[in-house]
Amino acid sequence: MNYDTVIIGAGLAGLTTACHLAQAKQKVALMSTGIGSLVLASGCIDVLGFQPAASQQPVINPAKQLGAFLTEQPEHPYHHLGQAKIEASLGAFLELVEGYEGSFDKNWLLPSTAGAVHPTCLAPKALAQGELSQGGSMLIVGFKELRDFYPSLISHNLNAQNLGVQSEAITIDAPPPLRERMNITPIELAHAFEQAEFRQQIVTEIRDKVKNCNRVGFPAVLGLQQHATVLADLERQLGRTVFEISTLPPSVPGRRLFEQLRHYFLQHGGRLTIGSKVVDGTIESGRVSQIRIETASRLQAIKAQNYILATGSIFGGGLQTDNEGRVWEAVFNLPIEHETNRHAWFDKGFLAPQGQPVARYGVQVNDRFNPVNSQTEPLATNLHAVGGLLANSVWTQGRTGDGVAVATAWRVRELLG
Amino acid sequence: MKKSTEILIIGGGATGCGVLFDLAQRGFKCILVERGALSMGTSGRFHGLLHSGGRYAVNDFDAAVECIEENNILRKVIPHCIEDTGGLFVSVPGDPLDFTDKFYFGCKQAGIPVEEIAIAEALRREPLLNPGITRAFTVPDGSVETWEACRTLTESAAEFGAETLVYHEIVDILKSQGKVTGAVAKNTVTGETVTIEADMVVSAAGAWGGQIAHMAGCEVTVYAGKGTMIAMNYRMVNTVVNRCIHPHDGDIIVPIGSVAVIGTTSVKVSDPDNYAIEDWEIKLMLDEGEKLIPTFKKFRALRAWAGVRPLYQDKSAGSDLRDVTRKYTLLDHNSRDGVDGFVTITGGKWTTYRLMAEHTADLVCKKLNVTRPGKTATTVLKNPHKDFAGQYFTLGQRLEKLEKGELSGQLICECEIVTRPQIEHHLAHNDWNIINDLRRDLRLGMGPCQGGFCTYRAAGIMHQHKQLSATQTNKALVDFLQALVDFLQERWKGMSTVLWGQHLRQMQLDEGIYVGLLGLDKLPTELSGTNQPRLGEIETEGYYEIGH
Repeated sequence: MNYDTVIIGAGLAGLTTACHLAQAKQKVALMSTGIGSLVLASGCIDVLGFQPAASQQPVINPAKQLGAFLTEQPEHPYHHLGQAKIEASLGAFLELVEGYEGSFDKNWLLPSTAGAVHPTCLAPKALAQGELSQGGSMLIVGFKELRDFYPSLISHNLNAQNLGVQSEAITIDAPPPLRERMNITPIELAHAFEQAEFRQQIVTEIRDKVKNCNRVGFPAVLGLQQHATVLADLERQLGRTVFEISTLPPSVPGRRLFEQLRHYFLQHGGRLTIGSKVVDGTIESGRVSQIRIETASRLQAIKAQNYILATGSIFGGGLQTDNEGRVWEAVFNLPIEHETNRHAWFDKGFLAPQGQPVARYGVQVNDRFNPVNSQTEPLATNLHAVGGLLANSVWTQGRTGDGVAVATAWRVRELLG
Repeated sequence: MKKSTEILIIGGGATGCGVLFDLAQRGFKCILVERGALSMGTSGRFHGLLHSGGRYAVNDFDAAVECIEENNILRKVIPHCIEDTGGLFVSVPGDPLDFTDKFYFGCKQAGIPVEEIAIAEALRREPLLNPGITRAFTVPDGSVETWEACRTLTESAAEFGAETLVYHEIVDILKSQGKVTGAVAKNTVTGETVTIEADMVVSAAGAWGGQIAHMAGCEVTVYAGKGTMIAMNYRMVNTVVNRCIHPHDGDIIVPIGSVAVIGTTSVKVSDPDNYAIEDWEIKLMLDEGEKLIPTFKKFRALRAWAGVRPLYQDKSAGSDLRDVTRKYTLLDHNSRDGVDGFVTITGGKWTTYRLMAEHTADLVCKKLNVTRPGKTATTVLKNPHKDFAGQYFTLGQRLEKLEKGELSGQLICECEIVTRPQIEHHLAHNDWNIINDLRRDLRLGMGPCQGGFCTYRAAGIMHQHKQLSATQTNKALVDFLQALVDFLQERWKGMSTVLWGQHLRQMQLDEGIYVGLLGLDKLPTELSGTNQPRLGEIETEGYYEIGH
């Protein structure tokens, strides 16, 4: 079968590109080894959270701070895009998903899983309602059965930073059928929240506590498919604004985003193949002629006009490394500039303000996002790399990872659509 | 604060804890002072080998005899700390064959039960072994749980009234008229000092023994012999596997807990608190491991660490540290330096800690002119974990309990099966908010994810349990967050030397959690701490080796 475009990778960059191209009436296939990394992320779109990158002060207006960030980070992939294209990409992303709020000129300042400030550009409504600059008082509710969320730690940190919010914490037993089930995951809790009776019991349990506060925060487990209903119902019953705070993975908001993008892609005629690893690709005379995927019995060739590499960095599996200090791109074996001395890959500190040097490694591209060789000549004109795979896209640096994914996805759609 | 005692013991490694128990059992009032946690220096940084003595049978005969005698005793007195893995000495192609006969007869002479077995039998026992091995011998090696042992010793000593002060660093040795009369220790968590008066001071500070002796005005040269080892995330052998050659880098693989540890290198370093693991050491270990287990490099290297063997020499050591005897040294500073009331025990190895303690206690008795015979060779110590009475702990025991529903509460560390009630029990019995203590006590964060999920969970539980939010003081919160960052940093130090392939992906997941989701790096400076000395932790990059 011949496609207009084949996309490799089901993370934020791959799915977003797939949706945009399907929307542009292309015949698109997305191939992925697994379900991608969205279920490990917060579900928010961080575009620029800190500037300078090592600063502790969150960026309030990313659009305004972008110029200074680009000066500080002369090799960042944002240089291939520029302010207008990043802004346009965020607008285009909001067209794909429901319930996301925000714009390029204002960061939400949300409580993190530890009670630090998490600046983010686009957020699902439930998370956005935790905006810290609104002030007032909040009650943070946790569940004894959920080991991936600690309200008193979050509340203590929020209060100690003098952010203008006063928070209180309460940990309650999850109502049946989860009560005493000591190892529940956020996903299980999210399913339970879709039951009216389950919610009812929680409301009864916390009603008295809620009286003294303006807002009520829960771990991000307020339903999956019926999230909007769950949120509205809790707000109605409690008579307060209700918001979500991220948990450890699996992330329910990440899962919701994955489902939304997947649904959009399929609705627009896309073909999604999850569970078939792309093992290699062939570049002939400056063009990719095919890729091959693993199927039950053999390797199967897939052909398309264009190919998008959205396989992520080392974490995503797009880059491979070994103990000899080798670093290589997993599908096409594209050249990756790197140190062979592994000591140079890491900083002495786990929380190094400049991030880990190894995170810089990736595929070099031109302004059309074609991978290039060391002379900056494109290696294949119908191959484009997006998202975390790109060189010098260190997501910890200024917290730009989601922005790079969303903006490069949109840019490739412009180039191919 | 002031305390007084009969005997003050410096150093909470295996030797110090052994001396504490021995003297307490003999009826002395004792205090042990350790600058970190128990077994945090060399005793906690070795590969966990209980020597049969085979390793020394050719080169260091006296050490070999001591090892086998102590090996037999320890199996009886601390059975819950020892896994009877047995040991194999094997020759791989290319190894000098004349050594194997020397080895065999050396073992015989030293009293080590050695037996040559058929290659097929060796491969049946350990299927992943190099099928090309040319000879194989069995010896009674084992593996030891050092934290469990040190805890058992100090808890048993406490029953005789002995006291143990952890996180207390010696800052001064007190002297009066040429006699040592005690020491001043500083609490590394609170900064408070405590003056301890004592009739006699025993330094069991291992590689740090020279520094302690210096404070007492005596010059003792203890070389720090760094050894590096790697824990592989798979118990690829169930028997300790030794290369049957002269002691060499990377010639031992020890199965311990759920991992196999390969060791070690041997490099003289000038400062026992400051040394790094070099890349050549990692490469060498993996290459040597491959010779014993041909698929060795395919397993995931989990973490590397290094420790410093205390190598005592009166005259300057030669360039090859392996020529220095691994026998221990007991110094009476009265006869040696004219300083009374002060004894140093150093050198040796984990396997002989009890014997070292007994000889030290004998010397203390002699100096104090009393006759109180030691009984540690025949006293079976109580297993503080009543759940698994008398048994060596394995992960399988916890798993079985979990599957039968006997291990209640939340599973906080999935890799090592640590539950919330276990953590709460630990917190109820310990004052310090140090996550690393949870690791040593419960093995929290020791599995393949190296604390990725359980660190946040343990921190959350600790925060709740200690009711830190009730105090609402920034100091308590800063200390707490620092403890969290310290633990992650400690794990990072061990991991960063062996990060590639899947383990590097794992690290990036951990980074995603602690940086991306928690934003730990963005907590304001006054909260996330400064570069000041770490709370309750002393910065060392060492490990220890039970000896070579």
